[in-house]
Amino acid sequence: MKYDIHQTTAYLYASPVPVARHIVRMVPVSRPGQRVTDSHISVDPEPAEWVQTRDFFGNQVAHIRLETAHTRFTVRTSARVEVDPSPECDPASGPSWEEVREAVGDSEDLSPLSPVHHIYPSPAVALKTPITDWTRKSFPAGRPMLAASIELMRRIYADFAYDSRATDVSTPAIEAFEMRRGVCQDFAHIMITGLRGLGLPAAYVSGFLRTEPPPGKERLQGADATHAWVSVWCGEQIGWVGLDPTNALVVSTDHVVLAVGRDYTDVAPIGGVLVGSGRQKLSVAVDVIPMPEEGAPAKLRPAPADEADAVDDATENPG
Amino acid sequence: MAGGSELQALTRRFETEAAESLLSGYRPLPGVHDELVDADGKLRPHWGPLLAALAEMGVEEVNRLFTAADRYLYRSGVFYRVYDDAGGGERPWPLAHLPLLIDEGEWQALSRGLIQRAQMLESVLADIYGDGELVRSGALPAAAVAGSPEFLRPLVGVDPHGGSFLRLYAADLGRGPDGRWWVLQDRTQSPSGAGYALENRIAISRSLPDLSRSMNVVRLAGYFQGLRAGLTRLDLSGEGRVGLLTPGPLNETYFEHAYLARYLGFVLLEGEDLTVRDNAVYVRTVAGLKRVDVLMRRLDADFVDPLELNPRSHLGVPGLVQAIRAGGVALANALGAGLIEAPLMMSFLPKIGPRVLGEDLALPNVATWWCGQKAERERVLDEFDDLVIAPAFARTLPGLLDDGPVIGADLKPARREAIIKAIRTRGVDFIGQETVRLSTMPLWRDGQLEPRPFILRLFVAATEKGWQVMPGGFCRVSDSVDSRAVTMQRGGRSADVWVLGSGPVDQTTLLPAPGAAEVRRQIGPLPSRAADNFFWLGRYVERAELTLRLLRTLVGRLSSTIEGDTASVAKLTQLLQSWGAVPADLAYTHTTRHAFAALSRRDLAGALPSIVEAARQTASVIRDRLSPDAWRTLADMALMLAEPVPAKGAEAEAHERLERSLRALSAFSGLASENMNRQAGWRFLDLGRRIERGISTARLARTLVGETVSAATLDVLLELCDSQITYRSRYVMTESRAPVLDLVLLDPVNPRSLAYQIDAIAEHLDQLPGHHGDEPPLPEERLAARLLASMKAFSANEFDDARLTEVEGQLMELSNDIAEHYFIHRSPVETPWDLLA
Repeated sequence: MKYDIHQTTAYLYASPVPVARHIVRMVPVSRPGQRVTDSHISVDPEPAEWVQTRDFFGNQVAHIRLETAHTRFTVRTSARVEVDPSPECDPASGPSWEEVREAVGDSEDLSPLSPVHHIYPSPAVALKTPITDWTRKSFPAGRPMLAASIELMRRIYADFAYDSRATDVSTPAIEAFEMRRGVCQDFAHIMITGLRGLGLPAAYVSGFLRTEPPPGKERLQGADATHAWVSVWCGEQIGWVGLDPTNALVVSTDHVVLAVGRDYTDVAPIGGVLVGSGRQKLSVAVDVIPMPEEGAPAKLRPAPADEADAVDDATENPG
Repeated sequence: MAGGSELQALTRRFETEAAESLLSGYRPLPGVHDELVDADGKLRPHWGPLLAALAEMGVEEVNRLFTAADRYLYRSGVFYRVYDDAGGGERPWPLAHLPLLIDEGEWQALSRGLIQRAQMLESVLADIYGDGELVRSGALPAAAVAGSPEFLRPLVGVDPHGGSFLRLYAADLGRGPDGRWWVLQDRTQSPSGAGYALENRIAISRSLPDLSRSMNVVRLAGYFQGLRAGLTRLDLSGEGRVGLLTPGPLNETYFEHAYLARYLGFVLLEGEDLTVRDNAVYVRTVAGLKRVDVLMRRLDADFVDPLELNPRSHLGVPGLVQAIRAGGVALANALGAGLIEAPLMMSFLPKIGPRVLGEDLALPNVATWWCGQKAERERVLDEFDDLVIAPAFARTLPGLLDDGPVIGADLKPARREAIIKAIRTRGVDFIGQETVRLSTMPLWRDGQLEPRPFILRLFVAATEKGWQVMPGGFCRVSDSVDSRAVTMQRGGRSADVWVLGSGPVDQTTLLPAPGAAEVRRQIGPLPSRAADNFFWLGRYVERAELTLRLLRTLVGRLSSTIEGDTASVAKLTQLLQSWGAVPADLAYTHTTRHAFAALSRRDLAGALPSIVEAARQTASVIRDRLSPDAWRTLADMALMLAEPVPAKGAEAEAHERLERSLRALSAFSGLASENMNRQAGWRFLDLGRRIERGISTARLARTLVGETVSAATLDVLLELCDSQITYRSRYVMTESRAPVLDLVLLDPVNPRSLAYQIDAIAEHLDQLPGHHGDEPPLPEERLAARLLASMKAFSANEFDDARLTEVEGQLMELSNDIAEHYFIHRSPVETPWDLLA
């Protein structure tokens, strides 16, 4: 499946910001299962300094220093991405979760793709006994890792309500867990917290969902902003499997990966410090347009408006 | 037998006999090694001369000398900060007066072992952040690295500038019952204690100067020279600037940061002082941005860059990691070096050592098993009761080991079950470790020697000549007799460590005369933050002084019968009330009560406790640039203000306290002006004073002197401006308006006059580094010129209410202009769309 992705993100400040330093993670890159054939990023105002690099997990990062006083900071990105369908995999096959846990302890791989980075607490994922205990119900002794993880994903989907007003970007997983509501970021953090509580490897993935569903299918939650889900390591043979607890889906061609990390803080689209005060407002517009199959006539959609009119509150609520 | 040997034997017998008396009550703990006596209770020979000397001096003399050493440390301002102290206060560092003695042979072995270990750790770090061979080959499990909060992913693949990760290494050692030294903990993040060791050495060698010479105690200075040269060599831009990066005065070892910066001649810097431009690091100074290439950091790596590391850090420098990646700055130690401190590393180092060094480790660490792998986990669970159970990666593990390591056998059943369950679920978080019993050394208790367990910290620096070990150390002596290492918490006492040479010590590496640490000038321009603090220190001290003068004038004034006093007392009380220095709801006639309120009430923003506390806080951040004596006078002042107020405070008592406080402040001013060289720091301190004094002089004149004014009121003004004597010597008449105002406002040679302040301000502005003669004048220079002109243009009588108000306003504006030009602008710094609010 091929997609054209356009994203415009704008920060509006109540008073002019004279100096700022940002890191921006908004451009998808090629990785196992997807190829990026073309990508572009631009920011406004013009930066005084601009360095593009890859972080440890291979995500593309732009380091930006702004020295022009501004009340609006805009990032525009576009990319063309081809996504492969995930390989067929029987959830009942593969190693048990206990075997997966021992394999991580014995691992001789410290590369970015290794599960060892994803079994520990991380800045936004503190281990919590209530979440671990709740998770444990899906992990009876000897059960295959993938089957147990899929059941955990479905339980989150079934037991939790999607509610973008209940939480914000900084809500700890335990709070969303106790309320049994939240958005994609909360569900991903809860699932990761539970798995790591049992010593199991789970990574945080940010990315995009196709904006319009294929004919006859429902529109997915999180399609109008950046989305988040979980990637679970199921042993050497199966490797990483994407699980989307917000939609109870095993990830395949509807999902495009933007960035991977231990939790939201590793993949946050923008981070940084600025000198200034006053309220901030944020607007995000995302379009993920399926490209026609070879030979079929192109059906073009207009790109999202440059000046995003809908200005949300200061925090984005991803997916 | 040769005569020399006979003499030696004789000396030894004498020493032994003299020491017998001291040793008679000394009972080493059963089952542990003792440094002073052997298993048969016989004195170890290298302690002989020390004990003999103590015995010869006698209890009283020894007590006196040790008290003098304590006093020295107190006067030098040697403190460590206690985080959970209610007052957030500082405590004197308690000194265990007897040094730990190490003879030369043993020291050689320790040094070799330490250097070997430093080499190994350097290789391990280079491999983890580089090739990754240790992990690939299975010598080090990947999960053992990945779980460390000090495995800094943004630094993977980054070669440290200068080629090494470790420039400073320290190891905490304990000696087991079998007499072998063991490494209890490797320190690679930013080892602390070397500065305290230096201060302890100075304190003790001042008390026992002859002894430290006759016992051939090896000097410490050479180590610090090596360390300094090693770091200075990394300077890329040739500007010779090395900074010591500190988290700031709230850190528990801040004293040491300031002390080392002063001793080594490095600039003491906080994150706020630095900025990164195009991959280079600059200090914000009063003369603009100045490059710094080398940072010796006392800030934990995680905090140095909120952009790529801990986003919650307000102590770091945004963009620093990017500058490091680009090779624009060298950090000592490199970011990520703290990885070695994860306790689980000790389970792998014994095997890694021979692998990377090609030889066995001379200085082994405590036997340790990581529970992240099955065989080791089972072993730890089997031997649970005999082991210390500890967090694998940090000092504590939330929820389970909140207070750090525990001994398996000590656990109550419920907690024991919880920990065992956690080890089975997340073994990666735990280690099991052999329990270690520490050896004991003697502690002097009023003529008695008592054995106490201790941990010895030794330091190694990377120098141009390779690794260099500090011939001494920082020794922590327990207050209890429990010799299990795990029970040794913070606290206890610190002792000096004497390495005894076999012959006279090389005097070329001699420390300067006791008390006078090696003097080096501060390098380069004054950081803006330091200038800011000097300026405000000057203002606060002046404000405190004026408040005290006002109170002194008020107290007792009403009991005399001079006419006109009532009016001026009422006016001055109103002035004090408007500053919040005295209670607003108390009639002006209660002058004594006003005075005690101003001296003691912490709830009044303008009262002395608040002003002095503000002064102390500003002084604490520039402590590396203030003389210890000046610092101490501020501390004494705060202590004085904390004294209880007498229930029925008498006038005389109030007077006495005001006088004492004024004397303390004059001591500070004297020390500050006499002991500081005339560089930018002093100029900003004095600018602060002059501006504050100018404003208050104008305000006093305006408040007291109206269209008509009594002689008594003019006398009050003269007293407040300390100008009575000058007036009387100049005018043989009672006070009258014009000459008094002239003396107080316009007299250019009266150091308390308004004109004198303005002259001084203009002179400072002229000399500051921001001034360029050929450029258009700066706003503050234009203002100063206007003020100078009005001092010349008008006569004293023309300084009416409006004109004085204008002068006050101009001085305040001047203060703002200086801040705008020279200081860091403290606008709030935010994270956009506060991701982690």
